Amino acid sequence: MGMNTLTAPLPLSLRLDAQVARRPAPGHLSVMSSPSRPSRMPTPDELSAWIRAVADPGDRAAFAALFRHFAPRIKAFLMRGGADAALAEELAQEAMVNVWRKAASFDPARAQASTWVFTIARNLRIDYARRGLDGAREQSAGDAADELTDELADAAPTPPEQLAAGQIEHGVREALGKLPEDQALLLRLSFYEEQPHADIAKALSIPLGTVKSRIRRAMEQLRRALGHLQP
Amino acid sequence: MNTHHPDQLLLLSQAAGRLDAGASLVLATHIEMCPGCRAQMRELEALGGVLLDQIEPVELAAGAFSRTLERIDAAASFAPRPPARVKATRPDLPAGLQWPHSLDGCSISPWHRIGPDMRWSRVDLPQQRDARVFLLRMGAGRMLAAHTHSGREVTQVLYGAFEDGRAAWHAGDFDEADETIHHRPQVTADGECICLVALQGPLRFDGLLARALGAWMGI
Repeated sequence: MGMNTLTAPLPLSLRLDAQVARRPAPGHLSVMSSPSRPSRMPTPDELSAWIRAVADPGDRAAFAALFRHFAPRIKAFLMRGGADAALAEELAQEAMVNVWRKAASFDPARAQASTWVFTIARNLRIDYARRGLDGAREQSAGDAADELTDELADAAPTPPEQLAAGQIEHGVREALGKLPEDQALLLRLSFYEEQPHADIAKALSIPLGTVKSRIRRAMEQLRRALGHLQP
Repeated sequence: MNTHHPDQLLLLSQAAGRLDAGASLVLATHIEMCPGCRAQMRELEALGGVLLDQIEPVELAAGAFSRTLERIDAAASFAPRPPARVKATRPDLPAGLQWPHSLDGCSISPWHRIGPDMRWSRVDLPQQRDARVFLLRMGAGRMLAAHTHSGREVTQVLYGAFEDGRAAWHAGDFDEADETIHHRPQVTADGECICLVALQGPLRFDGLLARALGAWMGI
């Protein structure tokens, strides 16, 4: 089965980032290239420094910078996962409240800033899916998914032979950039969409099993680029 | 080193936060017991972070930032703290076996006898009360009634080993089965076996008696 069918324009029914679908050039991935956003992308180190400044001494300017970067992305992530704009707005604000509140527990050796914020947004999405809006709001007062994430991280300290968080995120960023666009697209959809396999299968009119094997191939490709597997 | 791991797509769903609470708990238990899958999970979460950076942003409504600050201030003024997690009494385990941390937030019923040398315990998840999650503890050589599944069944072996004709699973191993798999798991002869299991839908036992028992257990 040829891989290039995936680069064909996708039907609008798939909640795709339109730019991703229509412009297969890799350059579009960075928001830096978007004319409506002249501000450059903050570096991982800057993001980490802002989170630390939020933790101590409760720096609101640093929090504003984090908010500018992450809140619109969390909102987009939640909308791609099926939330309507109002709900995504609400949950994005809630996620940022959690960023403020949990900033002191941020450990850059365990997870880089974007990864850490991603897990907060993801756990909020989990709590919303399981317990509704009130359940998700209760997260601030002791959330199950978040606590479990923390507990597991505490229970399982990183063995010294493992890569540092910074290296992992950097490696993943590089590896993702090297993937063919159709595979990178599959990985994006796998993360964002609520029913990724069914959505992709329907949009491309290919069997579910084929979607899965293509996502698997994309994941293998990514791992190979990370240096785990030999080509 | 265990040999049966979750499928890549299942790990991806876990990282993306799309699994139901029961399956997610069993996955978390496996990941806790498996350094390889733990490393992979870190990578997948890092991928989530990278993809979050790369997503096309959607602007928030005007005033969102100040409303967020208000929420932070309001919450700080009465500082609600989560109630301390009580680890309720737990059923006994074979000497040397520890409860996985992933089960810390769950309440776990005493062992109920469901047959000769076969016991069962219900696992209640605070975040999803209707999740079908349970522990199964069976003696050496014991066999579970033949059944198939309605939806996904995920199993993590905590102790001992079982086989079902497809392969053998040992402590630390993970198994995923669905409606295409009809099996009759049997504990190996070496000793008893304890598994943590999450079901999407009820098991479909072949026999009437087993069906009645399954209905009583809520599985």
